[in-house]
Amino acid sequence: MIIDSSDRVSRLNWLKRFPVPRNFNVAPESRIEPGRTWPAPAGASRTKAFDIYRYDPDSGSNPRLDRFHVDLDDCGPMVLDALIWIKNKVDSTLAFRRSCREGVCGSCSMTMDGTNWLACTRFISDMATPATIYPLANMRIIKDLVPDQTHVFAQYAAIKPWLRSRTPEPEKERLQSVEERSRIDGYYECILCFCCTSGCPSHWWNGDRFLGPAVLLQAWRWLTDSRDEAKQERLDDLEDPFRLYRCHTILNCTRTCPKGLNPGKAIAEIKKMIVEREG
Amino acid sequence: MDVKTIAPATKALRIRPLSPNIQIYRPQLTSVLSIANRMTGVVLSVGAIGLVIWLSAAAAGPEPYDIVQRVIGSWVGRLILFGCTFAFFLHLCGGIRHLVWDTVNGFDLWSIYISGWSVVAASVVLTIAAWAAGLSVSGWL
Repeated sequence: MIIDSSDRVSRLNWLKRFPVPRNFNVAPESRIEPGRTWPAPAGASRTKAFDIYRYDPDSGSNPRLDRFHVDLDDCGPMVLDALIWIKNKVDSTLAFRRSCREGVCGSCSMTMDGTNWLACTRFISDMATPATIYPLANMRIIKDLVPDQTHVFAQYAAIKPWLRSRTPEPEKERLQSVEERSRIDGYYECILCFCCTSGCPSHWWNGDRFLGPAVLLQAWRWLTDSRDEAKQERLDDLEDPFRLYRCHTILNCTRTCPKGLNPGKAIAEIKKMIVEREG
Repeated sequence: MDVKTIAPATKALRIRPLSPNIQIYRPQLTSVLSIANRMTGVVLSVGAIGLVIWLSAAAAGPEPYDIVQRVIGSWVGRLILFGCTFAFFLHLCGGIRHLVWDTVNGFDLWSIYISGWSVVAASVVLTIAAWAAGLSVSGWL
């Protein structure tokens, strides 16, 4: 009931989804149709069922939900291991992104049992039965579990996520005190997996103009960097009813961050900085 | 080589599907209290119309006031009034929680959950207390 760390998986077995119809607010091309059930591995003693979102752009048909049975004795402990096992042993056409397999690259972010996390750091034993795996929520899907992130990365580029300075370049590096450096702790660690942005209801409804928690956390990471000298311009760009103020402090972002960061707090810091600037 | 000749045969251009969001995302205390704050706000706005009707009836004279009082005093009327009271306190406590957040305090997950459940508990207690006080003043308790 009390969650003190974002890696806690909810144990509640009721209200696993909002009581809305399955196709509530879903355009015809996005409706999920029943898929096929793949045969369970022969001779396996411990198996677990996985319901996985499938979409094949070449088939011309709608997304579907396929059921796979994973042999737990033949598979690593993480959800990513299960996906790799399925790709190797059952259906080689299953598409998903992965790289580091240890939670530092942010490629394998997806919606597992209704919350966003990295497949490589989510234990299979923490998943419901059957486990449900969807691609990152509210994204255009290229294939299966691979979302098109063009839009969110364009939003990231819009905040100019690089050091902007006017003072002439120093001979060596730009120095910071230990205290100044510590101000970006909890923000520079973001791996841009977009779990938070994809879990933000405000971004679901206004994602075209609202920047979303991941990008706003990055904006704060530059606003609070002592070496950056474009604070006023950055605040001018953010002060907008949609870009920043569509955040209604729902805090699904802080609940879901696989790195344990706090996008909700970063956004509150930006709002406070704007208020203080007005005086 | 002409690109068109090696491109696959005409296939209807298909818009990429949007992955499900509200249809599959798990309700959490964070999102549930946020939507509850919205809904209680709507309830209070509608309830404000009821308040205006009640005041207008009082201004119009004893007879219309008596009719409105009897509607409110019916068990349906009291149930709606009870719901409005709960909505009022949930919205009030939720508003205070948001004011604290505006000062950039209480953002660690533990505080978010403690303050969230406190808002729920406080609204229940305050609603029951307000009704107990109201009923005892009017002599029904």
